[in-house]
Amino acid sequence: MGFTITEKIMGRAAGVNSISAGTNAQFRPDYMIAYDFPGYTDIMFQQMQDDFGIVKVLDPERYVLFIDHMTTRSNDREQQVHDVTREWGARNGVAVHEGLGIGHQLTAELGYALPGKFLVHFDGHVSGVGAFGALGWGVRKDLLEAWVSGGVYLDVPASTRFWLDGTFQPGVDNRDLLHSIISTIGADGCAHQVMEYGGPGAQTMSIDRRQGLCAMAMFTGAVSAIFNPDELSLEYSSRVARTDYDPLYSDPDAQYVSTVNVNLSDLSPQVVMPGSAKASNTKSVGDLAGTPVQHAYIGSCASGRIEEIRAAASILKGKKIATGLRLNVVPTSESIYQQAAKEGLLDILTEAGAHVAKSSCDFCFGYAAPLQDGDKCISTGVLNISGRMGSVDAEIYMASAYTVAASALAGRIVDPREVV
Amino acid sequence: MTNDSLDSSVSNLLTGRVAWVFGDDFDIDLIIGVQNIKSYDPAHLSSVCMKTFDEDFGNVVRRGDVIVGGRNFGYGHPHYPAMIAMRNAGIVAVIAESFAPGFWRGEIYQGMPLVSLPGITAKVDRWDLLELDWRNASVLNITTGARLQGQPLNPHSIDVIEAGGGYRLLLAQYGTAAAVARLESDS
Repeated sequence: MGFTITEKIMGRAAGVNSISAGTNAQFRPDYMIAYDFPGYTDIMFQQMQDDFGIVKVLDPERYVLFIDHMTTRSNDREQQVHDVTREWGARNGVAVHEGLGIGHQLTAELGYALPGKFLVHFDGHVSGVGAFGALGWGVRKDLLEAWVSGGVYLDVPASTRFWLDGTFQPGVDNRDLLHSIISTIGADGCAHQVMEYGGPGAQTMSIDRRQGLCAMAMFTGAVSAIFNPDELSLEYSSRVARTDYDPLYSDPDAQYVSTVNVNLSDLSPQVVMPGSAKASNTKSVGDLAGTPVQHAYIGSCASGRIEEIRAAASILKGKKIATGLRLNVVPTSESIYQQAAKEGLLDILTEAGAHVAKSSCDFCFGYAAPLQDGDKCISTGVLNISGRMGSVDAEIYMASAYTVAASALAGRIVDPREVV
Repeated sequence: MTNDSLDSSVSNLLTGRVAWVFGDDFDIDLIIGVQNIKSYDPAHLSSVCMKTFDEDFGNVVRRGDVIVGGRNFGYGHPHYPAMIAMRNAGIVAVIAESFAPGFWRGEIYQGMPLVSLPGITAKVDRWDLLELDWRNASVLNITTGARLQGQPLNPHSIDVIEAGGGYRLLLAQYGTAAAVARLESDS
């Protein structure tokens, strides 16, 4: 019987030759990652020292810290929060990456997300590293277990295979695929599993599309998502790798819970209604077309990459966004920002009336430019629960960068296929 | 794993009433209302807990009661304060048709016995008295006589719950003597 790439990565992380779905064991992550946030990392630093007597970690190269939240107000409070992180990182010899963008993207750019590697974070969007044949798992508070003991107990997940054919039609992307999957299999369709993407359609997908797709795995109940490495991702990995790596691949006779076939060519733009990404909130764009919006956002760890910036620019070029509408475009990393500037995309967006900001998580969770009571926003962010981007009385619709850009132009939700 | 010095008070068999039965894909933030999901003030959490479901919940719930959920209980971004409010109200376990992974991991870490038990919502009504063997995932509805058997927890999760949560287990295994002593004096 063969094994999935997930079983193989976890087997390697458990130090055994093979391990099967359902096994509970302790796993040693290659990287144990966090972004700093009050009440999370500051407390963990304190606990490490006070309760566990760890004044300096033994293997600092396995710890990774990002400063990507609370970066936009430049006030004393932010400095205090980040100084604690900088001090702990310096004392422990642990890398603290700041000013470079959103950590989940930097995990790729800085060469942590390598084929066959196992990465944990307290935040579940670390699953985006699956684009590179790495396994990323958001273990919530159990990150402390990893930081203290070097390992973390987990159940090896079974996998559902998503076999993709065809290619995205103009104006349709990975975001529409993800929400189509949820509307088909439900918000618990892959509960406690890994979503494994494969097939000819998967190979046509750019790295950006794969990252955005994998980053949203949690909304099917999955613990992660992954692509097997291919020529495209291996080329990326070879450019950024900070260490040796040894790719792993699913066996042809690996066992899956089920296989879901999706033809990318058949997909249409999807919009998620305010509240959550569950199936009953997921609609074809036509069902919500005409809904007025005053705010629009392109960014987050699940979007805002160069493909999304290009998509927005292609729609907004030579045009103006709706009067009174605020469009925030936040590239996922500084290097993406620079790339977009070089391609002239930021000028196009600015001339169209968009506000382009330096890379940060702050817009996605309502810390920067918070929504006010009664606002309606269309967003490529990861979450649309009440209060996520500001007021609990604001409403957040989620969609692809194409749909967000097209809607920003019109001041109401529109089908981007009308303008691409 | 056993560690007498840190043994918690979670007994094998829990006997309690069903304080509420929730539906599928239930977002626990609604227990306290989304405007309160960042509150850690016990008095405030108590004042808002379950108000939109049962205005009188705080008065009728008893220590030792349990709650029952449908499929995918804890869906969304499950913030901790909702279940802190429930624990403070006296809830000692959650039984559901199935759990959302984030909730599952987060609440096991907090030491809350969770039992995944397909079919449970059809077998219980509010205020039924249940006998729950959380280690073995079996439930006897004392009120109706119905029995249900689910998939038992894995040994590590049992260790976590027995220790009173992930942090206490980690302390027992890796904590300094001073921290363990402080924990003992707290409990």
